[in-house]
Amino acid sequence: MSAKLGNWLDERIGWRQAWQAIFLRKIPKVNWLYTLGSASLFVMVNQIVTGILLTIYYVPTPDHAFDSVQFISTQIPAGWLIRGLHHWGASAMVILVVLHMVRVIIYGSYKFPREVTWFTGVILLLVTIGFGFTGYLLPWDQKAYWATTVGTSIAGAPPLIGDTILRIVRGGEELSAITLARFYGVHVWVLPITLLFLVVVHMYLVIRIGISAVPRREEKS
Amino acid sequence: MSEGTEISRRKFLSIATWSIGGFISLAMAIPAIVYIVGPALKRSKAQNWIRLGPSSRVELNTPTLFKATVQQQSGWIVNEEELSFYVLTENGRDYIAMSNICTHLGCRVRWIDEQGQFFCPCHNAIFDKEGQVVAGPPPRPLDRYEVKLEDGLLYVLGG
Repeated sequence: MSAKLGNWLDERIGWRQAWQAIFLRKIPKVNWLYTLGSASLFVMVNQIVTGILLTIYYVPTPDHAFDSVQFISTQIPAGWLIRGLHHWGASAMVILVVLHMVRVIIYGSYKFPREVTWFTGVILLLVTIGFGFTGYLLPWDQKAYWATTVGTSIAGAPPLIGDTILRIVRGGEELSAITLARFYGVHVWVLPITLLFLVVVHMYLVIRIGISAVPRREEKS
Repeated sequence: MSEGTEISRRKFLSIATWSIGGFISLAMAIPAIVYIVGPALKRSKAQNWIRLGPSSRVELNTPTLFKATVQQQSGWIVNEEELSFYVLTENGRDYIAMSNICTHLGCRVRWIDEQGQFFCPCHNAIFDKEGQVVAGPPPRPLDRYEVKLEDGLLYVLGG
C-alpha cells in the first residue's frame, strides 16, 4: 500500500531522486566529529518548534513580558518543559555550532571547493549569536535587563558613529519598551528568515559538493 | 563481510533511525499538544463569598442595588471587575440576590421604581421584582445567588 502510494507520488513529484541525493549519497569514511553539523540542525529544529510554542503565550511588552514568562513556567502544563528546552537548546546551539566550526577548521574543510559553504557557515554563526543576544532580553528580568544594558553599550564603543549605532540598537537612549519590542521582532522574524535561507544554501552546498574526507598524512612519493 | 550481513546492518540502522526519530517526535509532540490545549481545559475558578454590604440598606419589597469589586484572572493579568446585584427582602429576614444581567443576551437590567419592574433597554424585556419574566424575549428569570447574612452584612456566593 505504502509502496504503491510512494510510486504514485514519485511519478508525479520525483521524491525518490531527492531522497537519494539527500540521504543515500556517498560519503567518505568519517568519524563522529562529522555529526556536529547534523546535531546543530537538530537543535535548530528544537529551537524553532519550542520558540513557536512560546510565542503562543509570550507578550513582548515591559508590563507583560516577565509575567507572561512566569505564567508559562508555572501555570501552563508542560510550559516549564517547553521553555526549558528553548533555554537550554539555545546554549547547546551555540556550543554545537562552535564545535562544528572548530572541526571544519582543524580538518581544513573550508578549502576549495567549499569556500562558499564556509562563508555561509560564518554568517550562520553570527546569526546564532544574534539569536542568543536578542533572546536573552526577552524574559525581561533583572539579568536580562542589565545584561542587555551592558551588551548594547558595546555597540556605543566605536568613535564618531558609536553613539548613533547604540541609539539605533536600543531604539532610544535607554533600554525601553521599544528595545524589547525590536529585539523580539529581530528574534522571531529577521533572524529566523535569515537562518533558514542560509541553512538551505549551506545544506545544498554540502550535498552538492559532498563532505570532505578526514585529512591524512601524505605518503612519501 | 558477506552480502547478507551488509543488508541486515543497513536494515537495522534504518529501523533504529526511524524509531529513535519517532520517539523524539512523540516526546516533543505530546507536551506541545498539552501545552497548547492546557488553559482550555481549566475549569473556571472556585466560587467565593462576595461581601455586598449591610443588610439594613435593603428596603422592604424593593430590590436594592449592591455593587462589589471582584478580582478576575485573565491569563497572567489580574483585573478588578465591578459586579452588581439586586437584593430583595419581603420580610426583613429572608433575602434573595439576583444578577443584573439580562438572561436574554447579557445586557444590564435596571430597577424602575415607579413601575415596580426591572427593565432591560436592549430588547425591552421586563422582569418583576422577584426576577420572573413579565414581557420580552428572556428565556428564564434573572439568575439568583446563594445569600448569607453575617453580623448584619450580606454576602453572595459567586465569582
